[in-house]
Amino acid sequence: MTSNLNLRHAIYWALFAGLLFAMPYLVSKGDLRTMIFALYVGIFAMSWDFLSGRTGYISFGHPFLIGIGAYATAILSYRFDVPVMFSIPLAVIITMVASTMFILPALRIKGSYFALVTLAFMELMYQLVQVIRPDLTGGTRGISGVETITRGAVNGFYLAAFLAFCVALFLWLLTRTRLGAAQSAIGMDEEALKGSGINATKLKLFTFVVSAAVAGLGGAFYVHYLGSIAPRAIFDINFVFTIIVAALLGGAGTITGPLFGAFFLTFLLEYLRPWLPGAERYLIYGGVALVLYMYQPKGMYAIAAKLRAGVMK
Amino acid sequence: MTILALDGLVKRFGGLTATNQFSADVTEGESLGLIGPNGAGKTTIFSLIMGEHRLNEGAIRLKGEAIQDLPTHARIQRGVARTYQVPRPFAEMTVAENIRVGLTPDSIMAMIFGSSNAAEELALAEAVGFEAADLDRLPNELSMGDLRKLELARTLATGAKVVLLDEVFAGLTVGEIAQISELINEKRRSGMTFVIVSHDLRSLEPLIDRAVAMTAGSVIAEGAYADVIADKQVRDSYLGA
Ligand SMILES: Nc1ncnc2c1ncn2[C@@H]1O[C@H](COP(=O)(O)OP(=O)(O)O)[C@@H](O)[C@H]1O
Ligand SMILES: [Mg+2]
Repeated sequence: MTSNLNLRHAIYWALFAGLLFAMPYLVSKGDLRTMIFALYVGIFAMSWDFLSGRTGYISFGHPFLIGIGAYATAILSYRFDVPVMFSIPLAVIITMVASTMFILPALRIKGSYFALVTLAFMELMYQLVQVIRPDLTGGTRGISGVETITRGAVNGFYLAAFLAFCVALFLWLLTRTRLGAAQSAIGMDEEALKGSGINATKLKLFTFVVSAAVAGLGGAFYVHYLGSIAPRAIFDINFVFTIIVAALLGGAGTITGPLFGAFFLTFLLEYLRPWLPGAERYLIYGGVALVLYMYQPKGMYAIAAKLRAGVMK
Repeated sequence: MTILALDGLVKRFGGLTATNQFSADVTEGESLGLIGPNGAGKTTIFSLIMGEHRLNEGAIRLKGEAIQDLPTHARIQRGVARTYQVPRPFAEMTVAENIRVGLTPDSIMAMIFGSSNAAEELALAEAVGFEAADLDRLPNELSMGDLRKLELARTLATGAKVVLLDEVFAGLTVGEIAQISELINEKRRSGMTFVIVSHDLRSLEPLIDRAVAMTAGSVIAEGAYADVIADKQVRDSYLGA
């Protein structure tokens, strides 16, 4: 793993850590709160990217994974008084196990069908949490009064930044190994990958489980940041678009790109709020996605790489 | 000793029977030519051996072990691999990266914690006739000859001892044919087993010990190349195609 690292990357990561550390001194409380949201979206977008960015198995139901993690820890801590330090790791494990049971049959289907199936899982989850054991899930209204683990914007920011940084570094390191190359090979020609002697199903399963763990982790911490959870807020198609567009905007398959894509998108939507207060804002997703697809499929990451190449010349 | 035994292979695509009771034995270390007109079922035989298509009937044994129910990757790990009639490189990967995928072990842990071996990648690339400078080239910059070389390198990278080559010479220049022929002969001398499909019979002849001719999914003749090619049924099948 280490052989793929070099000094330049180490410097980038150190700068990034430094920037996150300094952020509360640089921006207003309001912007900091927006950033907390951006960081969680970033975690979700990185999770999405790890699964879909390289393999081409597009998840259209990522909130399904996030929701399992968020509900699991909310129920455990709020209903059963499980301490957060246990409920969050449990929630991550529950997300990995439960979602894997759902996804196993779906790993054999390809392309748009996979997207449809994951979307269906999300819808199914939306219905289920409302009708099955509403005494636990809080039904349509969800649960409020979930224990929060940070107080104030600064602490909330540091926790989210720490999580996002760790997730980014972890997934980035993973994709720089031969695992990442094999994931890309799935997206390019899965048959030829099998023809190279690699068990593509096992690889997809591992990729899915890691993605689910990250989504569950993000979802669990997010619910303990917000202090509440409701089905319509999580299992929402606009939330799916937020995640996917952030990932595409940042650069699919690059891991770090989607984190920056999440920042860009979140602030773009935030600053547009005075002009576009309602759901029309989501039209922006379509527009952004279309322009990107036409002009720069690899997103901001590719633009940054080009700039860097230009500066180096 | 028989290394690969094909026993009564039947494959139907809907109403079409692509292979019909096809049987053949491949001896360890030999090079077998599989010939027949377009649509005879040669590529289908390869896909059946690799598990890319499911058999309707029959059995496939590799070193005595029945492999017809194993998934593709498990068959490759037991020592058989193929090239494709239409080369299938990983389009956005360089020559070196394509070979790297072939060398990658089928273990998540090894993928993550092991590292790639540049020397081994270069050695394989050079073995099929690439130069060090070619390692960073992308498939869309390669000629058909280079694509077939890459296909071969990736197949050899899996460590297979039985190699199935589908239309190895299609689209190649005379020089490229000579180069690939030389490589195959070198590998034959080192004990590798080949099954080779080619329409270019003239180029195929010096590379094989024996030939099997098939048409409409079944074997019609087998034996020494000269005898097979002189067979009336074989001649008719080519004329009819
Ligand atoms: N995936 C498939 N689906 C349906 N028919 C197929 C498929 N693959 C091959 N065939 C048919 O099976 C027959 C044998 O094809 P193939 O094995 O490619 O022949 P060859 O390689 O000898 O030219 C042909 O009639 C072909 O059209
Ligand atoms: Mg063919």
